Formats: sequence, structure tokens, C-alpha cells
Amino acid sequence: MSTLDALQATLADEHAAVYTYGVLGARTSQSATPTLYDALTSGYRRHRARRDQLQVLVDEAGGEPVAAAAAYELDGRLLRAPQVEAAARELEVASVERLTALVAQSSGTVREWALTEATWSAAWQLELGGEPQTWPGAPELG
Amino acid sequence: MPGRPLSRRTALGSALAVPVVLGACDIDPPRRESESSPATPPPEDSELVATVVASLVRAGALLDATTTEVPGLAARLAPVGAAHAEHLDVLVGAVPDAAVPTAEPVSVPPRIVPALAAVRRSEQRLLRDVREACLAAASGDLARVLGSVAASTSQHSAALATEVTS
Repeated sequence: MSTLDALQATLADEHAAVYTYGVLGARTSQSATPTLYDALTSGYRRHRARRDQLQVLVDEAGGEPVAAAAAYELDGRLLRAPQVEAAARELEVASVERLTALVAQSSGTVREWALTEATWSAAWQLELGGEPQTWPGAPELG
Repeated sequence: MPGRPLSRRTALGSALAVPVVLGACDIDPPRRESESSPATPPPEDSELVATVVASLVRAGALLDATTTEVPGLAARLAPVGAAHAEHLDVLVGAVPDAAVPTAEPVSVPPRIVPALAAVRRSEQRLLRDVREACLAAASGDLARVLGSVAASTSQHSAALATEVTS
């Protein structure tokens, strides 16, 4: 997989992440669960900025940024706050895997950016009820 | 779990033995450049691993000393120490004949709050060292492993950042 391929794959995931965060936020009550609502809002903003940056990086790499799908299928029932929180946490777990793959396929400023985003997604899992892991992004080593 | 450590070491050892060397352009596709000596880890990556190993040993020594001096922190620090040990195991196993350095003696404040603050600073220093090594790695696979170590360290640092109440 080339760096451009890795960037496109990461961008495709980010399109889905932005959509998913939007859905999760819409299903969360700001008044009933303000902490979760704030965490989802921050996550949405971070992933939206990440998606925008990836579009720039793909363009700079000479590629045509992959477009978002019209909609994405979300797994499971997302009616209760714990389910919403778990879905967001799983999204961040997947993001770390994709970003550490991009770390492997890049160098210089792209790798630095991917590493920064990977560590953010890893740490953000704790805001979403997660626990520290030994090998985030590389579960086969565990 | 028999064979798992060997498989992890083999995976990373192979990564070091067959480095992905990147060109000057940030986004050029990685290309392999090790056909002439596939069995020899690139010296620059071995040195990076040694640097991270030394940093892990230093951070681990502080955790051990802190647990001894402030037993009330033992439960909170145990997961951090366990992660360091796993990271150390994989990294040391990746470099043939790698020597694990001896940690310097460290002194720890005998009270919870300053002791925990010292651990937090130590973990931030470790995170910086791992990040630098990740960004400098010639092997993409090694960079990915170090990226995972950095992500884990950032998670543990975030967990340590919560306030203590006693």
C-alpha cells in the first residue's frame, strides 16, 4: 500500500467517522447527559478537522480525495447513552488502527500528523469510558 | 500463551531487518532498500530502539521506586508498569544481542501528590522519546509499533492526569 493509498483509506474512514459522530450527537441529550454530549461534540470537531486535513494531504499527494458515501450503516442499537458512548469509543479504537497504519506508510510531516492524531484518538477513548491499552492500533502484538 | 512472545519478536525483528526507507518527499510511496543485507537491522533503527528501551527502563525504575516509597499508589501505577514491561519485551526482543541498561537510582517524594506529579513528568518525557523515535524510524513497521507505544503511553498519561483525592 502506498502513502497515497493509506491516506485515501484513512480519509474514507474519516468520512464515516464524521457521519457517525453526527448521528451519535443527534441521539444524545445535552441536558440529560452533558458530559457525553460535550465529548461527542469535541470528537465530531476533531474528526471533521482531520477529514479536511486528509483531503488536503491527498490532494498534495496528487490524488483525488475519495468522496463520502451518502450514508453509513451503524452497528447495533444506539438508543441509550452507554450504547452511544461505546460506539464512539469503538470508532476511536478503529481510528488508532488506521492512523498507525498511516504512520507506517509515511514519513516526515505526514507521519508526524498521523502520530499526533493517533495519540489523540487513543487518549480520547478515556473520555468515552475506555481504559488504557498496551497496544492500541496494533492489537496483534497483545 | 506459548509462542506469542516469539511471534511478536519475530514480527518486529523482521521489520527491523527489512526496513522501509523513505525518500525526502513526505508522501512518496515507501520503498524497500535492504536487499543487499536483509539480515542486518539498520543501525539507525537499532539505535532508536536502544534509546526507547533506555527511556522505558528509566520510567520503569521511577514507577518501582514510587510504588516502594508510596504504596498507596501501587494499584494506580501497576497498569502503567505492566504496559512498560510489555513494550520493553517486544523492543528488546527485536534487536539481536540487545542489552537492557541498568536504571540509575531515583529518589521519590514520600507523599502521594508530588510523587504522582513526578510520575506524570516521567511519562511525558517517555512519550517525547517514543514520538521522536517513531518519527525518525526508517522501518515503517517499527514506526507503527512505536506509534502504538506512544498511543498507549498517552492513554496512561491521561489516566494519571485525573486528580488524586487522598
